[in-house]
Amino acid sequence: MAKKIAARKVQKKVARKPATKAKKGKPAKGAGKPAAPKAIGAVPRKTIDVKDSRDKSFKKGPGFHKQTWFRPEGVTEPGLNFVGYEIADNDVDFNQFLHYDQLYTIRHGQNSRFFRNLLKGKLVGTKCPKCGTAWVPPRTNCWDLDCDLQETKWVEFPLKAKVHTWTVAGWSGRSSLKKLPFVLVYAKIEGSTVAIANYLLDIKPWEVEFGMPLKVVFVPEKERVGAVTDFHFEPADGWKPGKMTPEKERIKKLVAPIYEWVKTMK
Amino acid sequence: MAKRVCIVGGATTPFDYGPTGFENVEKGAADCIKETQKDVPDFHLRDLDFMIYSHFSVHFGHQLCSEWIIHDHLGLCGLPHIRIENGGNTGGSALYGAALSIMSGHHDVVGIVGWETMDSVRQSQGSEFIALASDVRYELMVGGIYPIYYAAMANKWMRDNGLKEEDVATIAVKNKNNAMDNPKAQWYRNDHRYITVDDVMNSGLIAYPIKKYDCCMMTRGTAFMLVTSEEWAKKHAPDNYTVVDGMGLSSCTIRAGDRCGYPSWEKLYGKGYPDMTEFGACRKSAEDAYKMAGITNPKKELDFGEIHDAFTTSEAQIYKALGIADKSNIAKFLRDGETTMNGSIPMNPGGGLIGYGHPVGATGIMSAIEAHYQLSGLATKKHISKKTTVDNAECGIVNSHAGTGTSISNFIFRRP
Repeated sequence: MAKKIAARKVQKKVARKPATKAKKGKPAKGAGKPAAPKAIGAVPRKTIDVKDSRDKSFKKGPGFHKQTWFRPEGVTEPGLNFVGYEIADNDVDFNQFLHYDQLYTIRHGQNSRFFRNLLKGKLVGTKCPKCGTAWVPPRTNCWDLDCDLQETKWVEFPLKAKVHTWTVAGWSGRSSLKKLPFVLVYAKIEGSTVAIANYLLDIKPWEVEFGMPLKVVFVPEKERVGAVTDFHFEPADGWKPGKMTPEKERIKKLVAPIYEWVKTMK
Repeated sequence: MAKRVCIVGGATTPFDYGPTGFENVEKGAADCIKETQKDVPDFHLRDLDFMIYSHFSVHFGHQLCSEWIIHDHLGLCGLPHIRIENGGNTGGSALYGAALSIMSGHHDVVGIVGWETMDSVRQSQGSEFIALASDVRYELMVGGIYPIYYAAMANKWMRDNGLKEEDVATIAVKNKNNAMDNPKAQWYRNDHRYITVDDVMNSGLIAYPIKKYDCCMMTRGTAFMLVTSEEWAKKHAPDNYTVVDGMGLSSCTIRAGDRCGYPSWEKLYGKGYPDMTEFGACRKSAEDAYKMAGITNPKKELDFGEIHDAFTTSEAQIYKALGIADKSNIAKFLRDGETTMNGSIPMNPGGGLIGYGHPVGATGIMSAIEAHYQLSGLATKKHISKKTTVDNAECGIVNSHAGTGTSISNFIFRRP
């Protein structure tokens, strides 16, 4: 038991920031977009040796002895804390402020190769040896009931894709607000049956089109975090935006105030 | 032979964001039960033999097993209780569970309490919490929150079906304006104004083609509904019960992008279905509910519906999945106002999620309660005027919807 606690203590010295989008510093061309927020890759990294609680207790399965951390300063794990309250003007109603922030370990298990390969700048998925269906994101067992949970094989995919559908976001989750407005596409990686969601960068939001060819672009190796944010889409080389249409004019008009709003964000 | 299931009564707290007067959920549940007792004087808490709690997110509730607080508070210790959670379809799934428990003959009088307290965090944090129901490993951090996923699906669907932004905007106008006749609706209690298609078109971009007024609202709210066997209903509420004549529950992929080439759908509905555009789980659960209720022509046989309009675009997609419109006529169907109060099949007379609000665990219960009001003659009493009452309603559909269409239930309610 003492060993386990010791291992935990090592972990607490530095802690992981929840992954946020790390992207190429290049904003949409001519969009008047402010500089992209600092990528997580910019946070100093530290790789440390740790003891694994498995060393004594369990012999099966791989151990984990190397951790890489890039948690920004100031992101802490204070646990559960009451941090304030407010009293209503009627001197009766009372609200309490509770804060909590937890560190999660996502154990990728059989999906590990997908994330491990992102660090290497490669896209891997899986393929069913029985029916031949291939997927990015991967499935460890085939989805066709006729294949009866056939285990799939890992295969590497080309860094090419096609837009299946798209949207232009003017609002998002707390951690993505400063990236607005952005194009989010569902694209099929060449050879994959299914579409995967990711940002389409290096394009004006109103220029995106159904079926347009894309390339998969990885962030610089030093900035990769082993998550889907390690890559994004960009228009394929040689692609030229089509002529302005009423729909494109409409989107251009809709995003104009978003650029202004984002500038005012702290 | 399975026993018949009836809705006997129900009520919600006012739906709101921030102070409502019903901040503590257990008091809200008690108030909903008291209001139900006014409509069903014969109903006493001692009649209950099973409680189902309908609640989505522990993240909003900052409390594991908050149903234990409510159950205990209501004085019901000793009575069996469970919680059902199924994303946005939590309410519909709780009703499905209640119905199964009565059909089996094991329970007679089942209470459902549904709630969500979405104002416990900032709105942008709330959007992220909800997005934890997407596949966190592959989707969460690529800017994805639900309106963005829905917008991407709707953008292709609208293109495939020849719809313009203005066409779906009519749904926001209908639902928000219907809510102006409903004193418990969030839109009535807060913004409180009638809107036009121009207002929707000029509201801020959320994710193209969805603007702010195309979206439902985040809400704090609680609901209670009483579900019983037909014997109990006939004996204790002979004049104001509704029969659950059919029901269906179906499922689809968690990641919308995986709807291309999914084998079980293609075997059922043909190659290319549902793609990222159609709600397969809505179509399947509706077909199952229609079959059970003996409905062969829903457009003709349904008098109205209370459906899951998380977005105007998804309400339109649901029309198609329910079989009341198809690719050839969906544009005309919307432009003709077929689902307005004066149309052939009014949808969301209670205001829907866009007008009434969307406190996730309470939402499906709210929809079922509103449908029950229409069929039991209570709508006129509960709403401000008669203009949101569906005249002579005999049969309605209740729809509850989760994820990106990942779990969907449909119920056919009928006047006995």
